[in-house]
Amino acid sequence: MMPWIESFQRPTTIPEALQLVRRGGRRARFVAGATDVLVQADPSTRILVDVTRLKLNYIKRQGKGWAIGAATTMAALEQSKEMQRLADGILAQAAATCGSVQNRNLATIGGNLANASPAADSAPPLLVLDAEVVMVGPKGRRRLPLTKFFRGVRKTALNGALLVEVFIPPLPKGRAAWSFHKLARLASDISVVNAAVGLGLDGKGNCQWARIALGAVAPTPFRLLEVEKRLQGKRLDRALVEQACAQVGEQVRPITDVRSTSSYRREMSGVLVRRALLECAEGMGHKL
Amino acid sequence: MSRLEIKLKVNGRSRSFAIAPGEVLLDVLRREGYHGVKRGCETGECGACTVLVDGRAINSCLMFAAQADGCSLLTIEGIAQGDRLDPIQEAFLDTGAVQCGFCTPGMILNTKALLERSPQPTETEVRDMLAGNFCRCTGYTKPIEAVLTAAILVGGLKGSRTASTAKRKPR
Repeated sequence: MMPWIESFQRPTTIPEALQLVRRGGRRARFVAGATDVLVQADPSTRILVDVTRLKLNYIKRQGKGWAIGAATTMAALEQSKEMQRLADGILAQAAATCGSVQNRNLATIGGNLANASPAADSAPPLLVLDAEVVMVGPKGRRRLPLTKFFRGVRKTALNGALLVEVFIPPLPKGRAAWSFHKLARLASDISVVNAAVGLGLDGKGNCQWARIALGAVAPTPFRLLEVEKRLQGKRLDRALVEQACAQVGEQVRPITDVRSTSSYRREMSGVLVRRALLECAEGMGHKL
Repeated sequence: MSRLEIKLKVNGRSRSFAIAPGEVLLDVLRREGYHGVKRGCETGECGACTVLVDGRAINSCLMFAAQADGCSLLTIEGIAQGDRLDPIQEAFLDTGAVQCGFCTPGMILNTKALLERSPQPTETEVRDMLAGNFCRCTGYTKPIEAVLTAAILVGGLKGSRTASTAKRKPR
């Protein structure tokens, strides 16, 4: 309940939605599933502009990649046969952990990203998939890698623009496996740490490429580029995995809060990356 | 602040409600007399306020009433057919899954949505679904049994199996 809301608008076109928010200035805010907006209940928000009637609810092929409408619900992602297959289903798996089924029926992928919680569960899988976000603002449409979208805790590059689509480019060719891991009291709770990994191996077990992303252990979800570089070009064995995971602990900047201490988050960041790397290796039949 | 009018269907009946723009569906439904929609945490954690909107289970405390315009809602008041209980209600009674009853409407509605989507759910699916409905009395063993029993009863009523031949867990 937000009794201070003066106006709830339900536009049917993107230009109309943009205009309503621009006219409202700081008092106006976009709303989709409302699961974050209603919990935050920000008293400075007076005008809500609903984006669930803008036909942004789709999962479709675009070139050799995938385009996901920003108003697509977590439930739709987790139930999509295509998303269950894409990259070993890491995005569908992450979507299935975004709260209870009742919340997943409302919460949207665009909302999860625009809310920019450090613990957003859809972010690590999208980061390792090299996802891009498509935004429409007063100056038109622009596309940004997700790595450049998050600017801090609850801060994004949107600046009044509307997030309309998430684009997943074609996956790397060759032998690859993907893994999503999340640590929380229950799978549906807010993450203590979440991690996604993509790994490409050649026939001899040499790492062709690695992509690693973590959430809830820094102001924003992020890619661990230095750890990725350490793995690249080397034979994946136990020692290399241990080196990489030790390095993970150096790259995170976790906080202590009600869900965990900073030191536990740091420790578990390495553990989750190890689990994910080992799961990827196992998925490709590579014995360590 | 201007009031809005929303038109929707509740339990098969066309209704129109005057609402405030910042009101949540929970408040509107309770004001209109649907007291089976329980007020619990009001932050989307406990599931006591669960209703079905166009067949999907949602927490009515986390949905703006304005977004329910044009939708078809089902609350616990609309689940029985006259004097005949829904098989899901029968299953909850038969297995002893109800104690204080506060979480029960939410559980039954969430079960209804699950069985529409997945008529023969695994226990894992049932547990995932019930994670959205806090029960502080029974401890979930009986509700899980109730949902699995309901799946058999509902399947039977739809003709794939008859209720009388359905396997029931020994009590």
